[in-house]
Amino acid sequence: MDTSSPSAFVNGALLRRYIGQKVRTVIQVIGSDTGSVVGKSTDDLQIVVRGSSPPNPLTTYLEVIGIAESDNSIRAETWTNFGNSFDPQNFNELCKLANGEFKHMFI
Amino acid sequence: MEMENSAVTQDGIATVLSNGSVDSSSVRPQIVVQVVDLKAVGNRYTFSANDGKTKIKAMLPASLTSDIISGKIQSLGLIRLLDYTVNDIPGKSEEKYMLITKCEAVASALDSEIKSDFKASTGIVLKPKQEFLAKSASQIINEQRGNAAPAARMAMTRRVHPLVSLNPYQGSWTIKVRVTNKGVMRTYNNARGEGCVFNVELTDEEGTQIQATMFNAAAKKFYDRFEQGKVYYISRGSLKLANKQFKTVQNDYEMTLNENSEVEEASNEEMFTPEIKFNFVPIDELGTYVNQKDLIDVIGVVQSVSPTMSIRRKNDNEMIPKRDITLADETKKTVVVSLWNDLATGIGQELLDMADNHPVIAIKSLKVGDFQGVSLSTISRSSVVINPDSPEATKLKSWYDSEGKETSMSTIGSGMSSSANNGSRSMYSDRVSLSHINSNPSLGEEKPVFFSTRAYISFIKPDQTMWYRACKTCNKKVTEAMDSGYWCEGCQKKDQECSLRYIMAVKVSDSMGETWFSAFNDEAEKIIGCTADELNILKSEEGEVNEFQTKLKEATWSSHLFRISVSQQEYNGEKRQRTTVRGVSPIDFAAETRLLLQDISKNKTSQ
Repeated sequence: MDTSSPSAFVNGALLRRYIGQKVRTVIQVIGSDTGSVVGKSTDDLQIVVRGSSPPNPLTTYLEVIGIAESDNSIRAETWTNFGNSFDPQNFNELCKLANGEFKHMFI
Repeated sequence: MEMENSAVTQDGIATVLSNGSVDSSSVRPQIVVQVVDLKAVGNRYTFSANDGKTKIKAMLPASLTSDIISGKIQSLGLIRLLDYTVNDIPGKSEEKYMLITKCEAVASALDSEIKSDFKASTGIVLKPKQEFLAKSASQIINEQRGNAAPAARMAMTRRVHPLVSLNPYQGSWTIKVRVTNKGVMRTYNNARGEGCVFNVELTDEEGTQIQATMFNAAAKKFYDRFEQGKVYYISRGSLKLANKQFKTVQNDYEMTLNENSEVEEASNEEMFTPEIKFNFVPIDELGTYVNQKDLIDVIGVVQSVSPTMSIRRKNDNEMIPKRDITLADETKKTVVVSLWNDLATGIGQELLDMADNHPVIAIKSLKVGDFQGVSLSTISRSSVVINPDSPEATKLKSWYDSEGKETSMSTIGSGMSSSANNGSRSMYSDRVSLSHINSNPSLGEEKPVFFSTRAYISFIKPDQTMWYRACKTCNKKVTEAMDSGYWCEGCQKKDQECSLRYIMAVKVSDSMGETWFSAFNDEAEKIIGCTADELNILKSEEGEVNEFQTKLKEATWSSHLFRISVSQQEYNGEKRQRTTVRGVSPIDFAAETRLLLQDISKNKTSQ
């Protein structure tokens, strides 16, 4: 397992803590344009993901790994369709735990 | 004009500040001050009021402007303050000023500003003089508590440590605790000799509990001194890690008191009794606690209350009262709680009277038995709270009022003993990890106990007898007939053919342990992924690739939700624990994640 470039689990609110750093998150796709996808984070905030090759077609949920550019945008390096059934609440709780009391177990 | 210092009220400003605002109706000393630095601000005049020692800013009302212009009130003159308020200067909360509403001229301009020999400070507010003498702490103590009991004096001077701060490495501490449970004196006789021992459960104001044990001389010394419900100061005890086997309270440590320990009753002293700390188990999770040592707490809506019953106690033939309460909660399951002795006659009677209101009750320290699947019983230390003031109770009441009372609910016990168990329905109740089965070798001693669990198949032995020949009609084992075909004893007939039905042992693993499960046909089919007949065909096939082994390999390290029953079976005269698979379901990852999140938060709150 390549652990050379770890990414932090974030939701909308946590993104601002990692500006300039590698993050990963799952968003619900709201809309897409050439070079960017607009989505809703698991804590109901808007996130814009810019990058060169989003999957086509997009499923309802999309995982993005990339660099946080601002508190609501990510420059994607890896995109992965996460399908149409996904539990955003579970992911949101994971983000909270991974950045909270269990932070020492993650990066 | 001669300077008449006496005309200015001595320490007038200090008096003004300490007395605050005054109006002419109050009987207060009327203070005379000198007007200094009189100047106009708009149509009003401000000045500094001088008493010879201190000055304070002051403001005169517009109504007195004419007096100033006419010369009645003069700069360096004296005025008597009749009506004024003392306010903070906005933005400078340290400084105050007087807003004068009524005053009268006393003297015209003096030669100069009155100054005492001491350096007058301007604009700085002095603290009002202390009306009382400061007393030293010991003076106060002696005056107030001179005749108090030693314990009271100890309380004033001795620092009380919270129970949660105690550890084996800190020697000198004093705790203030209530005896929430007092055990009986027991005598023992072991290799080291004879002795007696008793223990007490202590609770402090924060709700932390600890068990304290006394042996022999200490036991005799303190047995009569400790009374249940009373509060004591205790020091010079020792702490050690609690023996998990005998733990009855939530504390990593347990305390031992010896003859040198100090136990003083805190008589006449109020001690806040903390709210009982509950750790509720939802009714549908009670299965895992059946016949376990752990005492549990429940909260539920009272569906029904039975009359008092008299039960003969086995050990001494005495008749004791019992009352059964049926509780329901949001898991839509019901359970019967048996109240014994005083709880049956006292609070039990109260509950009978209010049964139609369907109150919410919370009960602490219940034993979980397996009568009718799951049964709860009170013990001497159990406590019952009717309609507790807590969010859980409020939630339960509103659930019951809105939907609960209409819903038909099943008793939690019914899920336990039925053999025709629908696998999917009970995959989330009585969830355990495999370590629970291994750590309790006597599980299912009287009756099989049912659980659900999530685990991986870790090993399927290829060279085991995986199936038996079964009658196509009744599935019972058939015997080979003399000529050809198979004879079914149950159906009393012969058939040319039979079917193969699984009976196999599989090893399973999860994050907490591993164990063996027995699986019969329907469940094994879900694990292997094909029927026994099909697997048999694969086994007898020849070829490059051993399809049989492949099939087993594919089934290995697959994860499932299992409904299992644990029972004791006799084998060669020995009792052995046997776990049988009753149902297999695929994993719903989102649901499992939610369970894990629940577990994580449960572990947090119980810390």
